[in-house]
Amino acid sequence: MHSVTGVDPHLDIESYDPSADLMVLNLGPQHPSTHGVFRVKLYLDGEIIIKAVPYAGYLHRGVEKLCEELTFVQVIPIVDKNDYVSPMMNEQAIAMACEAMLGIEVPPRALYLRTIFAELQRLASHLLWLGTFGMDLGGALGGGASLFMYCFRERETVLGLFEEVTGCRFHYNTHAVGGNRHDITPRFTQDTKATLEVIEKRIDEYVEIFSSNGIYRDRTWGIGVLDGELASSLGITGPLARASGVDHDLRRDAPYHIYGELEVNVFTESAGDCFARTLVRLNEMRESIRIVREIIDSVPEGPILGMKPGKSPGHIKIDAGQGYSCLESPRGELGTYVIGGGNSRGASAYRLKIRSPSLHAASCIPYLFPGHTVSDAVAILGTLDPIMGEVDR
Amino acid sequence: MAVDETQRTYDHPLYQHVERMPGLSVALGNIDQLLTWGSANSLWIFPMATSCCGIEFMAAAASAVDLDRMGSIPRGTPRQCDVMVVAGTITVKMAPRVKKLWEQMPEPKWCVAMGSCAISGDFYRDIYSVIPGIDTFIPVDVYVPGCPPNPEALMHGLLRLQEKIRMLREGKLTREELRPESPPNLNRPAIGRLHDPERDPLTSEEQTDSAAGLGFGDNLNLARIRRPRPTAEPRPQPGAEPQPAADSDEESAP
Repeated sequence: MHSVTGVDPHLDIESYDPSADLMVLNLGPQHPSTHGVFRVKLYLDGEIIIKAVPYAGYLHRGVEKLCEELTFVQVIPIVDKNDYVSPMMNEQAIAMACEAMLGIEVPPRALYLRTIFAELQRLASHLLWLGTFGMDLGGALGGGASLFMYCFRERETVLGLFEEVTGCRFHYNTHAVGGNRHDITPRFTQDTKATLEVIEKRIDEYVEIFSSNGIYRDRTWGIGVLDGELASSLGITGPLARASGVDHDLRRDAPYHIYGELEVNVFTESAGDCFARTLVRLNEMRESIRIVREIIDSVPEGPILGMKPGKSPGHIKIDAGQGYSCLESPRGELGTYVIGGGNSRGASAYRLKIRSPSLHAASCIPYLFPGHTVSDAVAILGTLDPIMGEVDR
Repeated sequence: MAVDETQRTYDHPLYQHVERMPGLSVALGNIDQLLTWGSANSLWIFPMATSCCGIEFMAAAASAVDLDRMGSIPRGTPRQCDVMVVAGTITVKMAPRVKKLWEQMPEPKWCVAMGSCAISGDFYRDIYSVIPGIDTFIPVDVYVPGCPPNPEALMHGLLRLQEKIRMLREGKLTREELRPESPPNLNRPAIGRLHDPERDPLTSEEQTDSAAGLGFGDNLNLARIRRPRPTAEPRPQPGAEPQPAADSDEESAP
């Protein structure tokens, strides 16, 4: 079986064996399995990839530049679109950075809501990943579509919960600097419990679907082995790193929201292949369900905004200073670095940098692809789960 | 090779072929109805999904709002498809690829602009790397507003497209598709939209050529998609009368 050691990501094609049957194949930018617009240039020897060069930038929307123009209130619906599979995480990252710089204390009810929303977003994001991963492996007409349909059925119920609170299916604009905009209702609590009960049973069904499937095992077992040290040196976090044995989770190691009061179980695997990444994500889904169940009944009463609501979009002013704040998004460490003192006397940021986990995940492609076939490349790309809005920004 | 929507033919070549054969046109008297029914109810979709709207497109194709039940199957290749659903922001780097994929689709073909980024660029419209609306380089038949539109909204857009196909084939399309107009306080795109009467007809030709890699060397010329053709003499400035507000927001109203 192929291992990462010995792969040269900077292989010079000119020096490769001239008698080999070389071919260049472009995977993307338009390809259903690239999860967006992503291009990987594959150098093939027969069917085996000998070199892979990723190209990003097909969805570069200049978000960081746009965030320098807009005020801190206007930025929040903009950053929703970065990681569009779990939009609330982006909102929370920006809001947390601003709160840390301004010294605003978020009321406990808002912290509970943020935790519940974050875990439900993780659940929805992993459900979407599982469904599209089934599509990647099986194809729309090859049997993978059934897992896709099941997962989207469950995801719709989670989105329905968000719709009840915020009025949107996604791009919620529900977090603000200092708290939340929308409050939950007793009906939300009730619906959440019912939904989680259904999903918990269904997750066991999904595990049954592919753990009993020989084709699924063959296509993920030992494919795309990511070394733990390599993952750390590339800055890879989240489920990818945890599947490679890196025991790191910001919810436990640098608690924010109310994670400090909870006991968060972190699941790690040592294999580092596609199958391990699948297992880690499935365990995280179960863990998210457990966390939401644990805290949904103990949400304290009180206000959900920790500051006086402003009337103008420029009422939040950060005159000077800089701050970094990060959280554990479904893909890893999502951080926001803000330098205050921008336009109109600090109403907008002088510089706003987003540290996105997807970019780091995509950076391991030159190490993982060589030695595999083209169909394995699709499986590896599926488990890396890069979101292009976050990679290119 | 200029793509001009007014000159596009909606007559199926099979229809012309059958009509010329003696006797067959009598035997298949209702072949026109048959073809109309067939083409409107088997719209295979090529999802040009780039960002957030792509996720909603997937949700529309999945179990809750099942697009398959109206004959719309998403396919991964442009050569088998009738409708291109452009879902998401199109950047300057991506636009030549979109144009190229659009040219690869066989006629008759339609285009649905899904989401406000594809319609007008939304709040990214003034960013250096974003195309302010895909109708600056490919003709759009139906606009589905929203950020992102619900799956139900996309389905409504496809139903409107079906209606449009039926009316076009029966010659009953009396009015043009309502186009979303930019409010006067926003920047207009540097290249006029395809339905804009002030648009230079040569622009369409150049866009087609540059997407096909013709005339500008081996590489796709990115700048040609976005910037206007340099002209020797300054073009006459159009009258600065604002658009009538009456029909401006009917399409883009939520």
